[in-house]
Amino acid sequence: MKLGLDEYGHLDSLLHQWEPKYKLVGLMGLILAFSFVQDPRLLPAMLAITLALYALSRLPLSFLIARLRYPGFFLLMVAILLPFLSGSTVLLRIGPLAVRQEGCLDLLLVASKFVSILTLSLILFGTAPFLDIIKAMRSLGLPFVLADMTLLTYRYIYEIGDDLERMQTAMGLRGFQARYLGGRVLRVLASLAGSVLVRSYERSERVYKAMVLRGYGQPTRPSAEPRSRFGDLAWLFAFLLLAAGFIAAEIVLRQGQG
Amino acid sequence: MHIPDGILPAAVCFGGYATTGAITWYSLRKINQKDDPREGIPKASLLTAAFFVASWIHIPIPPSSVHLVLNGLLGVVLGYYAFPAILIGLFFQAVMFQHGGLTTLGVNATMMGMPALLAYYLFRLRTVLGRKGNRLGDRKGRPYQALTGAFGFLAGAGGLGIAALIAVALLITTIPTYLDVEAERASIYALTLAHVPLMVIEGTFTALVVLFLQRVSPELLGD
Repeated sequence: MKLGLDEYGHLDSLLHQWEPKYKLVGLMGLILAFSFVQDPRLLPAMLAITLALYALSRLPLSFLIARLRYPGFFLLMVAILLPFLSGSTVLLRIGPLAVRQEGCLDLLLVASKFVSILTLSLILFGTAPFLDIIKAMRSLGLPFVLADMTLLTYRYIYEIGDDLERMQTAMGLRGFQARYLGGRVLRVLASLAGSVLVRSYERSERVYKAMVLRGYGQPTRPSAEPRSRFGDLAWLFAFLLLAAGFIAAEIVLRQGQG
Repeated sequence: MHIPDGILPAAVCFGGYATTGAITWYSLRKINQKDDPREGIPKASLLTAAFFVASWIHIPIPPSSVHLVLNGLLGVVLGYYAFPAILIGLFFQAVMFQHGGLTTLGVNATMMGMPALLAYYLFRLRTVLGRKGNRLGDRKGRPYQALTGAFGFLAGAGGLGIAALIAVALLITTIPTYLDVEAERASIYALTLAHVPLMVIEGTFTALVVLFLQRVSPELLGD
């Protein structure tokens, strides 16, 4: 089972070339600014910037669509509920149900913010190798415990996932079927989960010994930080300016309303 | 139960990051008090991955199935590493599966991680109660199976229950709707009640896994 977080990390676009440290700060700034937006009038600009950035990143459209599929269900649920439940201005009636204006606007807001933020986070993690992003986080002050744990977890998720798949296949071959909720089924599934944990625990002891043999935990020479180019800083400045612009526009529009 | 991007107001997202920062700081301080904090990292990381994978196991509830949250169990097994583990797990859920989101990472981590830490503290009571001299342990000072099972159940059910309460409270109070008070109260009751059967399943499952671990690999429970 391979999910390929950074399968397009090797492409060559302006966003790929941007130093991960600055990219992390710039894009996170924009993401937070987007989460601040509450005024529907800002949505077209937000969506336009998101689309432009995605086009600039040269990531294939299929990459985005495949990742929008799952959360799409959630969005669908909100889409079904909000226009009927929220608000007082009735737009039209379908039998006993009334479609309300505030609900529709809320839906538009939630959906646009959701798609924009998700697309930006895909750009952030899709345009650089994952290791580089962790290094960038480390240089921005992420504690070593978190950095090491993130990398090791990432390294082993697929392997342990394969372990689980193999065990489930073996259970199926021996006639186990989880069709109903009963004591036996629950006990077998609990043993399966327990086995995954025990196997991983035993493997972690071997991994730790192997890491110590290779010098883990010994002081290392700090590797030279890549020198920041003017372009990297200019991009960062532009992104932060954009983020600040969104926040300022939101505040101005809100005051205009109030 | 992961709150996605775009729903919560920015202030709540920042609040979530603040509490997550505080709990992470507390956990890391406890971890760094150990002689060699690096020693526990591979164990915690592989178990984080294992929990991530174990949550893919589906429990059949015809005609559908549910997957478990396992945050109570995670607290029991990982102790102070539980909060960083949940933070990392949720981070991967967000960037790999688009389950949850980057802006709500702090909120989600607090919602899942705080109950995990509470489950850890709760489960430690078992060791105290099962000590030599107390009647709840065997002659070698190991807690009885029934005691382990009972605390496993409480940790699992409590972990999910508290997380669900936080989620419901957050969603009801912050979703931009103009619901009236009655409807709001009714939906809080309904959503909370809907979680009771899930808590029973989660608690039972956690108890069974904990008993399995006590039999097969007691060091995972700190015994």
